[in-house]
Amino acid sequence: MKIEGTHELRASRERVYQALIDPEVLKRAIPGCERLEKTDEDTYSATLKAGVGSIKGIFTGNVRLEDMRPPSHYRLVIEARGQPGFLKGEGDLDLEERDGITVVSYSGDVKIGGTIAGVGQRMIQGSAKMMASQFFTAIEAEAQTEAHEAPPKHGFFRTALRWLSGRLRRLFRARSQKTNS
Amino acid sequence: MANKYVGQRVKRTEDPRLIQGLGHYVDDIKLPDTLYVAFLRSMYAHARINSIDTSQAAKSPGVVAVYTGKDVADKVGPVPCAAALPGLKVPDYRVLATDHAVFVGQPIAAVVATDRYAARDAVDLITVDYEELPAVVDVEEAAKGGPVIYEEYGDNIAYKLTSGEGDIDAALASADHIIKQRIMHSRLAPIAMEPRGVLARYFPGEQELTVWSSTQIPHLLRTQLAIMIGIPENKLRVITPEVGGGFGSKLNVYAEEALLGWISMQLSKPVKWIETRRENILATIHGRGQVGYVEIGCKIDGTITGFRYNVFADMGAYHQLLTPAIPTLTGLMLSGSYRIPAIQMNVTGVFTNKMATDAYRGAGRPEATYVIERAVDLIAAELGLDPVEVRRKNFPAPDEFPFKTATGLFYDSGNYEGALSKALEMADYSKLREDQKKARDEGKIIGIGVSTYVEICAIGPSQATPAGGWESATVRIEPTGKVTVLTGASPHGQGQETSFAQIVADELGVDLNDIAVIHGDTSIVQYGIGTFGSRATAIGGTAVFMAVEKLKEKAKQIAAHMLATVPESVVFNEGRFSKEAAAAAAAEETSTGGAPAASDGKSLTIQEIALAAHLARQIPPGMEPGLSATHFFEPSNFTFPFGTHIAVVEIDRETGDVKFLRYIAVDDCGKVINPMLVEGQIHGGIVQSIGQALYEEVVHDEQGQVLTGTLMDYAVPKAAHCPRFELERTETPSPVNPLGVKGVGEAGTIGATPAIVGAIVDALSPFGVRHLDMPIRPEAVWRIINQQP
Repeated sequence: MKIEGTHELRASRERVYQALIDPEVLKRAIPGCERLEKTDEDTYSATLKAGVGSIKGIFTGNVRLEDMRPPSHYRLVIEARGQPGFLKGEGDLDLEERDGITVVSYSGDVKIGGTIAGVGQRMIQGSAKMMASQFFTAIEAEAQTEAHEAPPKHGFFRTALRWLSGRLRRLFRARSQKTNS
Repeated sequence: MANKYVGQRVKRTEDPRLIQGLGHYVDDIKLPDTLYVAFLRSMYAHARINSIDTSQAAKSPGVVAVYTGKDVADKVGPVPCAAALPGLKVPDYRVLATDHAVFVGQPIAAVVATDRYAARDAVDLITVDYEELPAVVDVEEAAKGGPVIYEEYGDNIAYKLTSGEGDIDAALASADHIIKQRIMHSRLAPIAMEPRGVLARYFPGEQELTVWSSTQIPHLLRTQLAIMIGIPENKLRVITPEVGGGFGSKLNVYAEEALLGWISMQLSKPVKWIETRRENILATIHGRGQVGYVEIGCKIDGTITGFRYNVFADMGAYHQLLTPAIPTLTGLMLSGSYRIPAIQMNVTGVFTNKMATDAYRGAGRPEATYVIERAVDLIAAELGLDPVEVRRKNFPAPDEFPFKTATGLFYDSGNYEGALSKALEMADYSKLREDQKKARDEGKIIGIGVSTYVEICAIGPSQATPAGGWESATVRIEPTGKVTVLTGASPHGQGQETSFAQIVADELGVDLNDIAVIHGDTSIVQYGIGTFGSRATAIGGTAVFMAVEKLKEKAKQIAAHMLATVPESVVFNEGRFSKEAAAAAAAEETSTGGAPAASDGKSLTIQEIALAAHLARQIPPGMEPGLSATHFFEPSNFTFPFGTHIAVVEIDRETGDVKFLRYIAVDDCGKVINPMLVEGQIHGGIVQSIGQALYEEVVHDEQGQVLTGTLMDYAVPKAAHCPRFELERTETPSPVNPLGVKGVGEAGTIGATPAIVGAIVDALSPFGVRHLDMPIRPEAVWRIINQQP
């Protein structure tokens, strides 16, 4: 299954890239992440609570970062297994900076199996998109936080509010661009 | 005998209990102290199992036991395959996987707990160390090479078989046209309304095991379970309570059935497992699953010269009871309702990392009918002839029966033109074609599809069947005059409690309500074969009829003794034995308005004879007391029902949706016992055909994951998808049995799909379409109409 999308983050590319490779940040930002430990150079062991619809459960597995070219690119390889099934995939993240905004494009191929494949297939694209949204909204907040500040919190409502405010801002920007032109 | 019941629309005697919810399916049977079983199933289509850790599950609240493949490997025998074909490879498929998982859904471990939720929760606590192996999913790729499932075989070929008669190469060489087409038959899930279910209870004192199972074959199951579990067959009782549909999916012996029996013996407690719908779609057999290449030769006038079908049949990962035999039924029926001098089928049975295929309503015959009917339509398209004319041109005439085909069969009787012309008349075919032309001019997309099918029923003579092709019946009259019928058939929705009672009621001249038809309990009913292959009425019904005849013969001898005459001068009429002279007098009295003769010493009712037979004081010297007769009926041939189905469809240009304008079916299943039951069978069959043609397909991804794991994803037709059916019959009795019946259980799924697909292809022919593979979804149709490949 192909998964792809883009997200606009209001932070510098360097800050976003740093956030995207910091295990402490990732642990906070990945929805449902309960554990993320470095096991090797650029390799992490993770426990994730995730699911689609009623098919939920705990996945454990490995995450590996490859082909790291700061601050513009890395490749993510993930393999995890749990009661609801398994998932394995790899994808590329590309970061571009435009007018102080970092555009993250991701595209990857994910294979899923077990119950989530048989029951949740129809909803997985949507679910993955939602998780990506939550994740990048959280990363944005992380990247906007200075090192000396306390790390941001990422509860469901907080993330939803941040996502909504981001949307509204973009909408206004689009409007003002329209009236300017 | 007077036909008071046979041929009448008698309401099903089963229905009052079923529609009030008073029937008993497996899950309705509650035994004290029952434990529940849940299965851990493979999440990989192909994997090595390095280790299984059940320690957490075993500690979970309510859990009584956890079993893995290692615990049962040398205790429970392999899942049986009854099909014998030359060179057939039969994998040693165990009830729980030990170190090698070969499809998604394969049972790996069984958890036994005090309730079903505790069992299910504990399944999640088992951890399996899998090593994923490359899966082989596509049947043609699996045949060519790709990952090999069983290393010891070296390839994925289960068997290769060539069948048919005649010089196919010469026949094709003599043709003016040769038409080739690749044809797909997607995998279907039978989706019985009641999933599978097993309850097993072992009494350690008596050393007796009872297994309640939702099956179509209680006796065959008993034999196979006895072998698998190693319990003497006379200590094993299989009970088939109410069964909510089978469609062939319960014509089988499953791992779960043996395992439940064995677990009950270990724990000396009742154990139950009721399949969930998800398990049902994953791990109950699938149907169809063929990819075939058709090559048909014809003369310029449409006369067929030869027909070759090269087919890859998807076995799945192992063989269930009849898996490899299903394509051989395809081979038998490739001649369809046509005279074809030379036919050849080359079948390659192929292992793939998927659940096994097996019999699903029609079992190999829908595939045959579909390819020959599609091929005839292709001939018509190629030659610019009307598809009806091509069919007519190749029909054998009614006086050519028994008709020998190049597949080695003798069709018992038939009048194909009769059914066709009746259907054409009902449809007003020539006007339909004119209307179609007009509608096309108005921009509408309308198509007409015709299928003239013949199918093989009453399976079958024992010589042609893996495990006995006969059927048994016992008929007895109890001392109070009530009639008990024990049938070896195992009806599960067909309504034979009613139709068999109709046969007996007419033959014995008793009231329908005085007859009880008992089936599906191996401790009560003599050995039987079961219900499948549209066999129960033609073979099981005949066995009942023959048993009644035997019973009447004995009753007549008793009557003669009691009436102080010889059996030859006793006549039996409407439940009463009379001396010939008295019978004549009684008839005269009746005709002059008098009451029929009472017990006047000149006549006796069958009930009076029954009592006398049990009291045994007035029976002929040396005669066995009692009034009971058993018959095992062995048919001399299959039967061959036939018919014509016509579908008229309109396609929505905007959405690609297919709408039925009309659906006409004229079916000939020989003599009919109960027209309402026949219509019910036809309705259900056509609906499943609509499902196959338009919606249904078990979809696997490239790693063998089932993507259609729920009824939200696997689309079964609903009432709104079904047209009004216009049904008629012709009646060509079968000479194979004294009832003249042929069978009708599968006619709908066999006859309807080619008509539906034919209609859609006809509708889309202005867009250059000659064939489409099922299921024909709106998207595919829309792309054709909008020229968007």
